Amino acid sequence: MKKITEIILKYSKLTLLLIVIITVASLYSIKTNFALETNLDTYMPKDHPAFIYSDKAEEMFDIRDAIMIAIENKEGIYNETTFQKIKDLTKEIQKLDVVADKDDVLSLYTADNIKGSEEGLEIEEFFKKIPKTSEKFNEIKEGVRTNEMVWKRLVSEDETSTIIYTKIKDNSFTEELYKEIVAISEQYSGDGDVTYVAGQPIIEGTMAILMPKDMKKMFPVVLLLIVIVLFIVLRSIKATLISLLVVVFSSIWTFGLMLGVGIPIYAPSSLIPVMLIAIGVADTIHLFSHLQLMIREHSDWTKEQLIKNMNAEMFRPVMMTSVTTAVGFLSLLTSDIYPIKYFAAFTAFGVMAAMFFSLIFIPASVNLLGLPKALKLTASNEDDFFTKNAKGFANMMVRNKKTVIVSTVVVLLFFGFGMSKVWINSSFLARFPDKNPLVTTDAFVNSKFLGTTTVNVILEAKEEDKFKNPAVLELMDEMALTAEKEVAIIGGALSVVDFIKRMNKVLHEDQEKFYTVPSDQNLIAQYFLLYEMSGGSDRLWDVVSDDFKTANMQLQLKGDNSKGLNATIATIEKYKEEFKALGVELNFAGSGYKVLVFNDLILIGQIKSLAYSFIIVIVLLSLMFRSIKLGLIGTIPIFITTIISFGVLGWLNIPLETTTALISSIAIGIGIDYAVHFIDRYKINALATQNKELTVAETMAHSGRAISFNAVVVILGFLVLTFSAFKPNIALGAIVSLNMFTSFIATITVMFIVLYVGNIYFKKK
Amino acid sequence: MKTIKFKARVIAIALISAFGISEVTAQSADEIAKKVYNRTTAKDGESDMTMKLVNSKGETRTRLIHQFFKDYGTVEKKTMFFKSPADVKNTAFMNWTYDDDKDDDQWLYLPALKKVKRISSSSKDNAFMGSDFTYEDMEKRNPNKDTHKLLRTVKYKNETCYVIESTPKEEGQYAKRIAWVIKDKWIPLKIEFYDEDVELLKVLTITDYKKIKDYWIIVNQEMKNVQKNHKTIITLSNIKVDIGLGDTRFTQRAMQRGL
Repeated sequence: MKKITEIILKYSKLTLLLIVIITVASLYSIKTNFALETNLDTYMPKDHPAFIYSDKAEEMFDIRDAIMIAIENKEGIYNETTFQKIKDLTKEIQKLDVVADKDDVLSLYTADNIKGSEEGLEIEEFFKKIPKTSEKFNEIKEGVRTNEMVWKRLVSEDETSTIIYTKIKDNSFTEELYKEIVAISEQYSGDGDVTYVAGQPIIEGTMAILMPKDMKKMFPVVLLLIVIVLFIVLRSIKATLISLLVVVFSSIWTFGLMLGVGIPIYAPSSLIPVMLIAIGVADTIHLFSHLQLMIREHSDWTKEQLIKNMNAEMFRPVMMTSVTTAVGFLSLLTSDIYPIKYFAAFTAFGVMAAMFFSLIFIPASVNLLGLPKALKLTASNEDDFFTKNAKGFANMMVRNKKTVIVSTVVVLLFFGFGMSKVWINSSFLARFPDKNPLVTTDAFVNSKFLGTTTVNVILEAKEEDKFKNPAVLELMDEMALTAEKEVAIIGGALSVVDFIKRMNKVLHEDQEKFYTVPSDQNLIAQYFLLYEMSGGSDRLWDVVSDDFKTANMQLQLKGDNSKGLNATIATIEKYKEEFKALGVELNFAGSGYKVLVFNDLILIGQIKSLAYSFIIVIVLLSLMFRSIKLGLIGTIPIFITTIISFGVLGWLNIPLETTTALISSIAIGIGIDYAVHFIDRYKINALATQNKELTVAETMAHSGRAISFNAVVVILGFLVLTFSAFKPNIALGAIVSLNMFTSFIATITVMFIVLYVGNIYFKKK
Repeated sequence: MKTIKFKARVIAIALISAFGISEVTAQSADEIAKKVYNRTTAKDGESDMTMKLVNSKGETRTRLIHQFFKDYGTVEKKTMFFKSPADVKNTAFMNWTYDDDKDDDQWLYLPALKKVKRISSSSKDNAFMGSDFTYEDMEKRNPNKDTHKLLRTVKYKNETCYVIESTPKEEGQYAKRIAWVIKDKWIPLKIEFYDEDVELLKVLTITDYKKIKDYWIIVNQEMKNVQKNHKTIITLSNIKVDIGLGDTRFTQRAMQRGL
């Protein structure tokens, strides 16, 4: 390091020039390669068996999430203007480029009305021309009421709302499309009609778009806040500006590299700048506060001497903290989710870049621009706050060590119990603020219709025509009815059974008692033949394959929260064995299910990475301090932090999801820094003085200052996230701030006591 | 016969006539289409029909049908009896097609229900019994509905063929069709069907045809949906034509009676 510092001092201009060139190149890379990945499908691991299966089923049954447009008229929908709107809106939506096939738009205008006539089966539309008489309307109303396949599905029970389902092409959701659809539907509001736009593609799409936007808003706020804090802490414009450049440059290099190698910005990556600011600033504070301290203490030293001393003394802790932080993030590489891997890898890169800038850019800049102001002295030569109180604090800790240990255990037990309450929520909707239009519209559609979230139950047989078998169909019917009854969140089910029951009823003069599965397989087969020959639409093939070997039961859920999804899946899975006995395999598919699996993967990934990062941090600390004992002692603060962090989630009923699950790794990566600084200082002092009293006081004073500054900066930086529009970001900001605070307190209390009691670095008496 | 009928129709569809670019080619394209449309067909007849549906995985479903048909001039009647699969055995389908624009009359007899059910006339672009043929593919299409163009004359499968492109005057289920019509026999060996985006959708290939009495009859043909990689093969056997079928063959009672 000494040599490097000398080179930097000798070629300061060249060093800065090189850094500026690379920064400009990175900016150019960001500009030319900028790409935001808003398609949530790309977030899912394609090679996971559950996803492979689901994708196959989605392909087979043309399973796609629908955008839903509801039209509400408080007076009821059966009037000319509302019907005209249903027709016109349906036609307008059918013409959109993202609609591949007119049949992909399902509304009262395009739906099949399967009904019986005196002579046979009729499959036709509910209306073609707008009815002019109330008799006509009553006829349609009666037709809808008695048609189990559309009642509540297309028209609400109170007959004040109707809905248009639109399946758009895969991967075609964009912000513009959403705006276009909202604009189109708004044209149809008025005359007592109100339109609502909802559906999973909109929620997912909007989230992927809004997350980075939200971060874009946060970034300058964080930056401004950091500038203020830096100035308060360092009392030097020069040092503040240089520190600012360090964190900004590290963000630019990181995004330049990421986009340069062709990786777009995924939602988690939008957190990188905030991470890097909070982390990078810590390095610069350590360096500058050391430099300013030395300027005060050694007013006779030259600039070069001061810079050399700064780099020599701070190289170790800065490197150690950066490496441990990077490792904390790198442990997330064990995740199956690529956006999280990218987040991990590039945040780690950014952390190392920030270290590089601290150790190279700061010396070079200071050399060229001159020294910052010396550390402000309170009064003449008196000790500052930290020096003054450190000793007293340390002594107090030592005196009350039993109390501290006992209260720590109590706290751990309390939060440890809270951990058991932690639950996972895969809901995308729950991440939006309660008053967001997406949330209110979704609630409206869920209150009137069967539900905005879909889970598909895929039933697979080995032989053809299995889904003409009455026993199999009856079991499906029983399963659907039980699920609808037992799981409150299930609004309704649609399967091949509904087609059969409907046909059986209408071919028996609409008698309710025939709304059942016929017991004769031949009759079922002949119904399907009749359906096909009567011009029944291809919508039948959305629920059964043409060889009747595979069936798809669509369950509509009123909401996408994990509790409801899990209850649904548990209820359905009870039928697995019974289906097996009939030679039918039961599996799940569709977006609702995939999101659930996705979130499980994220969580398993978190737990894995948490375990890995603990092990790696212990190994690293052991190596750095050449003592396994110290390695273990060093992890005390992050251990406590992790327990408290999950405990808080549990007690406050904050669910774990993709963002909050990152907390543990962030907490470890950043939280370990305090312990590293503290132990490093402790070691230096212990070896130098061999006096425990002196060591304790000096470590508390010197290290205490640096890490409390650091804690304040990082906590403030993350607290900015609480102004985010997204609930998970708010939770992330609050909890990471809390974590930093916990780590800080744990370091100077419990860990300090263990270190003290452990007698490390002191020869045995 | 029914099959014969629908052969003829498929052909007819392909070969429509109208006003082309050059007068000479337009004239001949128009003539060719008319010749196909007006090709003489049997007055009545019967045959066994095998319909094989092959999906993209190569899995095959087979339907065996026995069919009768009779041409009354202004109306053409046909009855089809399912012989297999077993679950639809004895199900009978009857169809009356009218020469004018009147909708077809159709009935299905369901033996499990022991009832004849009338079928509302289905859209012409619906698949016929889940096959790759639509109802329209199997009916005569008046050549006046399309514009025809003779693209070229080629040697195809050892036959001299006219390659005719037919574009509907009013938007239809296909953007255009291109047919390879055998000179002098006026039956097509191949027809390509293009979808709304003018992308190739289906290819009909005639793999076997023979002359029975005075009529050219397509015995084996394959309709392949190239976009879905799905195909339907229709084969006729035991073909008898001009056998003087009685009118009672084409009644609901006959459907119930079965073969």
